[in-house]
Amino acid sequence: MSLLRQQGPAPAVTPSTVPAEGVGTPATGRGRRRTGRQSAHTRHQAMGLMLVTPFGLLFAAFLVAPLAYAFWLSLRTSTLVGGDHFSWFANYQQTFTDPHFLAGVRRVVVFGLVQVPIMLGLALLGALIIDEVSSKLAKVFRMTLFMPYAVPAVIGALMWGFLYSPTFGPVNSLSHALGTGKIDLLGHSLMLTSLGNIVTWQWTGYNMIVLYAALQGLPREVYEAAKLDGAGQIQTALRIKVPMISSAMVLTLMFTIIGTLQFFTEPRVLEPTASSVITPDYTPNLYAYNLAFQYSEFNYSAAISFSLGAVVFIGSYLFLFATRKRSGLK
Amino acid sequence: MSSTRRPTSRSVRRTAVAATSAALAGVLLAACGSGGDSGSGTTGSGPVHIKVWAWYPQFKQVVAEFNKTHKDVQVDWVQAGVGQDEYTKLKTALKAGQGAPDVVMLEFQELPTIQLTKGLLDMGKYGANDDKGNYVDWAWKQASDGDHVYAIPVDGGPMAMMYRADLFKKYNLKVPTTWAEYKEEAAKLHKADPNAYMTDFGSDETAAGWRQGLTWQAGSRPYTYSASKLPDIGVKLNDDNAKKVYEYWGDLVKNKLVDTQSYATTDFYNGLSSGKYATYIAAGWGPGYLSSVAAKTSGKWRVAPLPQWTAGGNAQGDWGGSSFSVTSQTKHPKEATEVARELFGTSQAAWKIGIDQAYLFPLVNPILNGAYFQDKKYDFFGGQQINKVFVPAANGIGTFDWSPFQDFAYNTDTSEVGKALQGQTDWSSVNDNVQDQVTSYASKQGFKVSK
Repeated sequence: MSLLRQQGPAPAVTPSTVPAEGVGTPATGRGRRRTGRQSAHTRHQAMGLMLVTPFGLLFAAFLVAPLAYAFWLSLRTSTLVGGDHFSWFANYQQTFTDPHFLAGVRRVVVFGLVQVPIMLGLALLGALIIDEVSSKLAKVFRMTLFMPYAVPAVIGALMWGFLYSPTFGPVNSLSHALGTGKIDLLGHSLMLTSLGNIVTWQWTGYNMIVLYAALQGLPREVYEAAKLDGAGQIQTALRIKVPMISSAMVLTLMFTIIGTLQFFTEPRVLEPTASSVITPDYTPNLYAYNLAFQYSEFNYSAAISFSLGAVVFIGSYLFLFATRKRSGLK
Repeated sequence: MSSTRRPTSRSVRRTAVAATSAALAGVLLAACGSGGDSGSGTTGSGPVHIKVWAWYPQFKQVVAEFNKTHKDVQVDWVQAGVGQDEYTKLKTALKAGQGAPDVVMLEFQELPTIQLTKGLLDMGKYGANDDKGNYVDWAWKQASDGDHVYAIPVDGGPMAMMYRADLFKKYNLKVPTTWAEYKEEAAKLHKADPNAYMTDFGSDETAAGWRQGLTWQAGSRPYTYSASKLPDIGVKLNDDNAKKVYEYWGDLVKNKLVDTQSYATTDFYNGLSSGKYATYIAAGWGPGYLSSVAAKTSGKWRVAPLPQWTAGGNAQGDWGGSSFSVTSQTKHPKEATEVARELFGTSQAAWKIGIDQAYLFPLVNPILNGAYFQDKKYDFFGGQQINKVFVPAANGIGTFDWSPFQDFAYNTDTSEVGKALQGQTDWSSVNDNVQDQVTSYASKQGFKVSK
């Protein structure tokens, strides 16, 4: 805003101030100039407002209003027989004692603790490799890793669903051929691993590109200095490159954590094939969806969604606070 | 709501709006619905257009037949998704206050749920009671509450056992008449070919009605409910009959005598057509389903009555079946009722399409007991007159009440069965767990529950 104000008197404004200066005394001139400036300022404000309005309207209509409506919904209780009444925070109280919701949160947290480090580790490794090697092969490698991200999540999950299939899946054909018995990739014990595999497949490339872009932005002289000091490639990578892109790493980590807490698409797609494992409350988001659209519990579903939103918000705030030095947000 | 897992800066907000999407989706759906629903509005003269949601593809010809024979009323057909997909849309439209069709195809178990939200029109006020005598008694009772008529029955799902005659011959199996025999033959088959199973135990939500049908046959009547006696409801999902059924199937699962694929998956279809499953326990609409997903096994299947719990018994159960309801949003209750009553009704022409192409199992007496249906030979079943099995089954089905929270009950059952399948809980505790959760849910929803 201050920048805008300095650039303030736009060409359109000048003509009005020029004659005033020519005729009037210095005092009035100064006074007039002030008014001229003010009107420029207001006009400028109007302009800004005008430019912001389209966004503002859409923002209000599609984000603020629905959010407010959902919040209002979450403060009411409507039962099948009892009707609809205002119940303050009763839904929220229920949320944080609801074993289905808590189990879902626990599940995505456990999932994230294992899957996130693996995925980001792979992404970092990939980024360091394609940053170091600048052959044609590196380009192919980059494209290949990034490709899954271009596949819509639903299609990706469907495809993996087939690959995991006990009848058609290659994993089971292989284990059958080796005589190791049946591996139920869609069973209770392996489901989170199978889901983790889909997510890793889909998002490693994306995160790799983000980290790669950060690496590309680093000044090359530093590497030369490191080389002169006798650092090898691995040492340069670990001691120079990684610390220097830590803010990008914090960024990817944060987005990934948020994505994990909101886990929805993949379990939703695999639900029909593995309904004995993926229950309606498998993840908090899935639970909210089923509450609203299967049981028509819109109020409680809204409360669950806001609660999940709170968990995500607090989680990311704490994370950003803890990593404020690394992320450069201090 | 689709790709929530996308790490853009919008993600944070997106979480918070998850619930909002619910509201928004409602608005959008309503918008989509009302965009095309000009059908229900008429200006001046000309026929009244009634919008109908139904899901079988052959319905197109039934609509054409109706429109040909009616001048003042015309039907606009919309395929709004099969089963649960359609219900989700309907519930959202009803909640939103607009966007619902005039007439909607509903399965019997959904009727009380939709009726409780005041989503259904009482067709009794528009003369639907005249049809009472036309329909099979148990079906009419499920569709009505005294003189209040909330739906007109169309097709039913009396259960029977379809089996592969060729495999039975190959492995020298006897067609079982009791569940005890069924288990013996299952063991014999699996021993002869470890890759073959007697059948697939439907463990998923789409098979919840299948499990309910089997407990129905065993004599379990879990709900005592009538909309006119609200808020009273009786819930008994864990009586001895229900437990008997679950423990029986649990035992088959534990001994690996049956497969445990989810229904409606490619693996399941493949099992039906590859000879992996020797029997398919299904309903009156099952032959149509089977002949489309396992077309290449044509001629190899036969139909036999459902095995019994006591030798020589005649206990039957039902799985699925559909009806036409008029929604409370209709602007033309009289015409919509006419459509619901006469789309199939007793029309020979409509039923010929329904029977020959959609494999519907009629619940309207003149057609059900008519020679055309009973004597029809099916090539897929080697020329067998399969309705000689299904019609007595339909007539042996007793009355049965559904709950007005059937989705919750089915989902809970599916979750608990899933846990037992994965070895997390014991099969004998499934029914008790379901009972606990469903009764506590019902109480929370304001019902006065008697257990």
